[in-house]
Amino acid sequence: MASSFAAAFEIVSFGAIIVLVVLGLGIIASMMGIFNFAQGEFVLLGAYVTYLASAHGAPVWAGMVAAPFVVGALGFVLEALIIRRFYAAPIVAMLGTYALGLIIREAVRGLIGGFYLTVPEPIGGSIDLGSVHISTWRFTIIVVTLVVMGACYLLLARTSFGLRVRATLENPALARASGISTPLIYGATFAFGAALAGLAGALIVPVFSLFADLGIRFLIQGFVAVMVGGVGSFIGPVAGAGVIGTLSAALPWIMSPVVADVLVFVLAIAFIKFRPQGLISGKGV
Amino acid sequence: MSMDHSHLTRRRFISNFAFATGAIATGVGSWVVRPDWANAAEAPIKVGIATDLTGPIAYAGNADANVAKMVIKEINAAGGLLGRPLELYIEDTASNESVAVGNVRKLIQRDKVDMVLGGITSSMRNAIKDPIVARGKTLYIYPQLYEGKECTPYLFCTGPTPAQQCDEFIPWLIKNGGKKFALPSANYVWPHTLNVYARKVIEANGGEVVFEEYYPLDQVDFSATVNRIVSNKVDVVFNTVIPPGVGPFFKQLYEAGFLKNGGRLACVYYDENTLNINQANEIEGLASCLDYFKALTKDDPASAKIQAAYEKDFPGNFLFAAGSAATGTYRGLKLWEAAVKEAGKVDRESVAAALDHAKIAEGPGGPAEMVPGKRHCKMKMYTAVAKNGTYEIVAHSNGLVDPKEC
Repeated sequence: MASSFAAAFEIVSFGAIIVLVVLGLGIIASMMGIFNFAQGEFVLLGAYVTYLASAHGAPVWAGMVAAPFVVGALGFVLEALIIRRFYAAPIVAMLGTYALGLIIREAVRGLIGGFYLTVPEPIGGSIDLGSVHISTWRFTIIVVTLVVMGACYLLLARTSFGLRVRATLENPALARASGISTPLIYGATFAFGAALAGLAGALIVPVFSLFADLGIRFLIQGFVAVMVGGVGSFIGPVAGAGVIGTLSAALPWIMSPVVADVLVFVLAIAFIKFRPQGLISGKGV
Repeated sequence: MSMDHSHLTRRRFISNFAFATGAIATGVGSWVVRPDWANAAEAPIKVGIATDLTGPIAYAGNADANVAKMVIKEINAAGGLLGRPLELYIEDTASNESVAVGNVRKLIQRDKVDMVLGGITSSMRNAIKDPIVARGKTLYIYPQLYEGKECTPYLFCTGPTPAQQCDEFIPWLIKNGGKKFALPSANYVWPHTLNVYARKVIEANGGEVVFEEYYPLDQVDFSATVNRIVSNKVDVVFNTVIPPGVGPFFKQLYEAGFLKNGGRLACVYYDENTLNINQANEIEGLASCLDYFKALTKDDPASAKIQAAYEKDFPGNFLFAAGSAATGTYRGLKLWEAAVKEAGKVDRESVAAALDHAKIAEGPGGPAEMVPGKRHCKMKMYTAVAKNGTYEIVAHSNGLVDPKEC
């Protein structure tokens, strides 16, 4: 009983981490039609900002609060300078963002000297429930993920900004004709997606430590999650992330981890074969 | 007409190709460190270093290159070898075997070095040993701790082997941890081979392996493993999971109360560099067994001198640490120096014959000597325990430990 409770918690917590990483990726993919291969590096930058803050004596939570703003601002600038030129050619956009990611990744690798560096969690230790110990920080991540997920949903579904984002996605020409500044909306959406990645990086860096390949580790899982969940809506990628995260944490409990690692992808490919539109199809929120 | 501009003509292709080839051949990763005294009667002896200056383990490769610069500078300051100065050629292996083979060929064919030292991972050693030893007909020294079983002629290993890292360490772990071992491991050659040896030593000393399990190299979530360790009441986690997985793994073990319940972490590649992957309290009591720890400088003046000289020349982030092959590099160069002195010449046959039984009285961690006919190195081994973010030496071998290879 105690063991299965611990298992459930660990599986849910890893699922939450994947959801958190995929949120920004999903929003950019669904709302803008851009597969952002630099998303992993936005996660890395969020982690790096948090590390910088703690290395310079600031409290870790301050770095975590700053990370989404810093990464979001960078995303806004990158969209205006680079990404904007790729909207007409999504395939080229993949290569362009991949190159962007490579530049960021190697720059960070140079800055941290290729080391693996620890970042302390703002709320450390574990919650003891009898014989079961639950990591306080992983529990915090689950809570924050739920809050951020809810907030994103409300932002896109209930606010006028969300309405404009969706209008721009559905019919850019009509949106422009109705007085919506589509370039600004695209810039803001990309910055928002980047900021979510920055937040994800800031929150997960105490769990995984800071290293240059932190982002790329989650990128492939993130894209598989988006494919499984379905591109076009907000909720699709999130659902996909939940499924992929839970599967990749749960399978090692019942089989050899090396097999489990591959099996997640095999299952995902088989699923997409039979349901190419993903778990949740259609546009909108 | 307008077609000409957009199409790739043969001439254009060839000129681009020539440019790219030239750029690759002259390379940005080549470094030559020439001695100050160029007025020597005879041409300099050329030492080649091929190591990971860029890529994921650049912190280790740069430390090794620094050690080489330091040792060569010292030898030159003391009058060189056989009255000739030493010239150092450093090439990048970039953690990429195909790049490495190209750069090693440059060392052999263009620079015509007399010896190559380098390679950190076993896959790198396997990739570059043939261009160096077989086709290049040059002496090769491999400086890193590794899984053993490398018995190629003219290839000398100066880092610890499984026997050196397990024979004294595992009995210590059984005494200071317990009998029930878990062997969580990254899925590649070093853990697989090391575990075969470790299991033998564990069972020979009355211990028991509860489980031995392999993980993908980039796995970062170990909840299932941690649960097995805790629920099986494992005493010692003999870890060969590598970064990036090792940080999250140790953290999850800590959070699950493994250390609080008296569990012992053990990891034979853990040195001063890897201490920073986790917070100090998460790996309190972690035991490692290597040929050198910085903590030794308190009691061993020879080690202290080397450590101080390194830190004076290279005060940056690249530490002089055993796990990054820095100590093996030092030992390798010094043993080679002794061999060249004895041979009186630098051709491969004579130096290899002398290196076969070369000895040095002082090195990081103490003296070292090659085991004749085995091309592996006897050295002192130390067991250290992480305490509050630094190591404390808790045991050391009596005399030099045999590598038991070849």
